Amino acid sequence: MIASSVDNVTRVLSMNEFAGRGAGSGRRAFVRGMTAVAATSCIRRPQAAGSRARLAMLVPASEREVWSPLADAFERSHPSTRVHLVEGPSSTDLRENLYTASLLAGDDSFDLVLMDVTWAAKFAAAGWLAPLDAAFGREAQEAFLPQALEAGRYDGRLYRIPMRTDVGVLYFRRDWLDQAGRQPPRTFEELAQAARALQDPPHRWGFVWQGSQYEGLVCFFLEVLRGHGGFWVDAATLDVGLDRPESVAALEFLRGARLEQPISPPGVTTYKEEESRRLFQDGRAIFLRNWPYVWRLAQAADSPLAGKVGVQAMVSVSGQPGAGTLGGWGLGVSRYSPNPDLAVAFIRHATSIDGQRALCRTSGYVPARIQALEDPVLLGANPFLATLRTIHESAVARPGLPRYALASDILQRRLSAALAGMASASDTLRTAARETRQILEGSAGRGDP
Amino acid sequence: MSAARGRLLLLAPAALLIGVVVGLPVLRVLQLSFTRVELQQGISEQWAGLELYGRLWQDSRYWTSLGNTSVFTGASVALETALGVAFALVLHQRFRGRGALRAVVLLPWALPTAVMALAWAWIFNDAFGVANDALRRLGVLEHPVAWLGESATAMAVLVLADMWKTTPFVALVVLAGLQGIPESALEAARIDGLTSWQRFRFVVLPLLTPALLVAVVFRAVQAYGAFDLVYVMTGGGPGGSTETVSLYSFQQYFRYLDFGYGSAVATQGVLFALLPLLLLLRWAQRGEVR
Repeated sequence: MIASSVDNVTRVLSMNEFAGRGAGSGRRAFVRGMTAVAATSCIRRPQAAGSRARLAMLVPASEREVWSPLADAFERSHPSTRVHLVEGPSSTDLRENLYTASLLAGDDSFDLVLMDVTWAAKFAAAGWLAPLDAAFGREAQEAFLPQALEAGRYDGRLYRIPMRTDVGVLYFRRDWLDQAGRQPPRTFEELAQAARALQDPPHRWGFVWQGSQYEGLVCFFLEVLRGHGGFWVDAATLDVGLDRPESVAALEFLRGARLEQPISPPGVTTYKEEESRRLFQDGRAIFLRNWPYVWRLAQAADSPLAGKVGVQAMVSVSGQPGAGTLGGWGLGVSRYSPNPDLAVAFIRHATSIDGQRALCRTSGYVPARIQALEDPVLLGANPFLATLRTIHESAVARPGLPRYALASDILQRRLSAALAGMASASDTLRTAARETRQILEGSAGRGDP
Repeated sequence: MSAARGRLLLLAPAALLIGVVVGLPVLRVLQLSFTRVELQQGISEQWAGLELYGRLWQDSRYWTSLGNTSVFTGASVALETALGVAFALVLHQRFRGRGALRAVVLLPWALPTAVMALAWAWIFNDAFGVANDALRRLGVLEHPVAWLGESATAMAVLVLADMWKTTPFVALVVLAGLQGIPESALEAARIDGLTSWQRFRFVVLPLLTPALLVAVVFRAVQAYGAFDLVYVMTGGGPGGSTETVSLYSFQQYFRYLDFGYGSAVATQGVLFALLPLLLLLRWAQRGEVR
């Protein structure tokens, strides 16, 4: 009877639904792992035509247009080389998984590794990246924004050269503040006051940000934390600052913004960048914490916000300009690449002033080379760069730990629980601090200098 | 050649395939779960005995994820089974447009989970979501609710999305079972003067048990391994209140590169899932023997 029922069902259903789904959790995870590996081996380099060397890298499919002028120019100056831009998913996590699966298998699918600011330590610790100190001497290094460059250093050696950088900023509706005769806020208190005075929920909210349980929450919290004078983990001493009073005050501010005297919508705990930006773009929020990409969208000709938006660094308790969390993308060289010298040449080309112009002019990305930030061509195309340059100087970097992902997940979970009202600020941060110390101790003594 | 040997020979290709595709990976996961995998100048593997399983006992995040997975599995399978049987009974009737309706009911099942999960996440978005808008127009809600932002409602929404997606599967299996029930048995029941409820309770349901069992076992195993739905809709949040065992072991593998511990999480999770399933199957077998 069972058999005949199954027969009846399988007649209607395709077999692969069963194959893909009829697995327990363990097998499930493994199947996924295998799929990722299979996916990377499918995009293994095509057979080289003749003797042309190949340089492959995985880029988000949406960035292909940005990268191809760079690749074309490189091919012109290196006629025997072909740059193979492999189009990957737009999700950062998924691309990290693809790189991880490929590097773990030790295969040479990718010569260049396009890395988020937080991957470098983990990939370097796993021994997947070639050190770049010899190729990029002190003078070459000094050409980059120091914060962006340092993010690529692990255990005293350089593994990642920054291509473009990102920094968290605070957007506000200048028109509404002007109408109310208010100045842009400098402290958290002023921000909350202005938000309360001008908001009209649920049609118009005071302050929207990224509160979902994911990396973006950590980025935003670090800014609020720095604004309160606190810190997360000191990468040099491995000190953990999460249970200090400044940290509690920072989290209390965010909890208050959602729970006690709401200036943020209840759903802010589910928002990532786009959810929060849409509210702002629709004219339904006064303040928005986000990345520089919002500026171009807000100022676009068909945007209802054109000319009405101001931008500044995150506020602080003291009233001094606060800090934005540093993001950005850089290039490293895979240890398994058969053409490491060519890969280095490509990085040099991409980070040259011409390369930076090609990369940033139409895309609006923020270049990592200092000279490019002062470049009249780029400034002409995007005057916003001048503002970002100043905000960048006080940027706060996420600690370069090999176990960064674990530390970040601890913080994400605890912050998210506190914001959802499941735990108090001080309790949750005490737990987070304890858990963070545990994992840092676990990794200490394992080859730390 | 003897018949027995001939049978073995015919089975060999399938057995080999299953061995390579399923057996080897399972063994590797099992082996990894007894291995300390360290990430320092490359990946090194060291025999760890039961150390990783010991770590599991003290890992509150693991127990939370196990609890979440159980709640999700229990709620979604129970609701889907009830609803699926109801659907199947309707689709079993003869009426105009039955073929079309059967196709429509199957649609959610055919949709990729990640796509439909994204759609559900927007439906339950607090500011732009259809759910809040509809409920407020109906006067049920005064203020928009952040469905995915509170632990209780987030889990409920996940269960709802899973129901939407997989109730068709239960309906389909049960429908197949219904079609296997001989018309003569129902005829006899009708002649004996049973009401329609009595016919369902005492004739249809007992004959349907094997099909129901297939549906429940498949659904339970599937729900227990829930990954994509949760990954897309909540990422395990808020505060880890919707993180499933699959998601946790995935994080261990791919984010923390701790393949040993990830394997221990997965293995232990499977053991916990096997226990109730074995009990269920035993109970069902006994019923069949009787």
